[in-house]
Amino acid sequence: MTAEPRLLDETQLPRLEAWIAAKAGADRVSVVDEGPLSGGAISLNLAVTLEIEGGALAGRHEAVLRTGSATGVSASLGKAQEGMVLRAAFAAGALAPEPLFISDAGGADDALLGAPFYIMRRARGVAAGRKVVKADQPQRELAREMGRQLGLIHSIKPGTAGLDFLPMPEPSPGLQCERDYRTWMGRFAGTDPVLAYGLRWLTLHAPPAGEVVLCHRDYRTGNYMVDQGRLTAIIDWEFAGWSDPMEDLGWFCAASWRFGQAGREAGGLSDRADFYAGYEEAAGRRVDQEAVAYWETAAYLRWAAVAIQQGMRHTSGTEPSIELALTGRMLPEIEQDLLRHLDSLAGHTLFGRTA
Amino acid sequence: MINDEPDARGLVSIALQTFRDSVLPTVPAERRFEALMIVNALGIAERELAAKPDAALEARIPQLCSDIDAGAYDAPERQADLRRVLWELTRARLAISNPRLLNPV
Repeated sequence: MTAEPRLLDETQLPRLEAWIAAKAGADRVSVVDEGPLSGGAISLNLAVTLEIEGGALAGRHEAVLRTGSATGVSASLGKAQEGMVLRAAFAAGALAPEPLFISDAGGADDALLGAPFYIMRRARGVAAGRKVVKADQPQRELAREMGRQLGLIHSIKPGTAGLDFLPMPEPSPGLQCERDYRTWMGRFAGTDPVLAYGLRWLTLHAPPAGEVVLCHRDYRTGNYMVDQGRLTAIIDWEFAGWSDPMEDLGWFCAASWRFGQAGREAGGLSDRADFYAGYEEAAGRRVDQEAVAYWETAAYLRWAAVAIQQGMRHTSGTEPSIELALTGRMLPEIEQDLLRHLDSLAGHTLFGRTA
Repeated sequence: MINDEPDARGLVSIALQTFRDSVLPTVPAERRFEALMIVNALGIAERELAAKPDAALEARIPQLCSDIDAGAYDAPERQADLRRVLWELTRARLAISNPRLLNPV
């Protein structure tokens, strides 16, 4: 194997070690940089091992240092904020990787690595969608567990300490999302009639304002880790925000994240019924199927908006990348999934209006 | 403009064919994902260069978007008509970006 470039240079490494030592009340800390992990298109994940002498966290910890890449997409949280979301999810009992150290937002900590960051425990397993869904039989228990975990995440409500930076949707989650997606799409909302129609549909069929909870907002196959068929961690929290809890269910079940297992509608794992049952068990809230159908429409528009932004990161010249470029050209397939979904709803009534 | 041959489509086409037949099989495993993305990108470019855009249709698209925004297609029967047009447009774009996803109708 060729040596991977070290991302922490010789001046950053000792400063990071001193920073961790101060945070952990430790006598001495050494950080071993094990190179980048394959991560999302928006974040940089570095495998590190922390050797901590003294203090409450004394010992050896396999961890991940997560920081931002050069340009993000509009919806993504800063890494310090993402760390705070992770802390709340971990405290709620969800299988989020435990955050160990979070850089202080807007403070001197930003200068340490040039951007906000946090360090979390490293989970074992694979996240890659194709590997996760590969199974002869439906993965009913895993689908149920994904439902339960989502129920735990949704127990986090506005007012939770440390999360006051997350904006509240106005006047309702559906209408807020429609406005956000339109903004993120930029000129494409006026030149692509499928997007224009989808956005109009979201406005016409928006559920009335109701309860809002912490939504992960990228809760899907590909964003959780599985080891020997068992869930080990839910990752990629950078889009989290207050919303209608049914938003995450619509996203999880969207056709975009089944990785070839189209018939297993709950994330390529199993039937929706298994996922919904786990959710109701842990959330103490019924699944509202009309709302899930609405949010599945929203899912395709949100994914379209993100794909547009990924493509623009390349096209604008800020981050030339064949992967980002090809993501921009995924729009027609996302739109085909949107049209199929809308066809499946035609004639049904959603929130008092015929779809 | 002097007409040089082969044209862009011809060049992309032979570049893709050569890359796929001669280079791809020799690419080491850790570069295979990137190599497949190159195949994908060249394939899209080749199909786009071969496509015949319908200029008259394209000229009407911005107005169609404004009409949709303004609610001109809100009535259920108008939505059904609109959806037929949207399917056609989407299938034409899919034929370029990812024709494997085109199901026979």
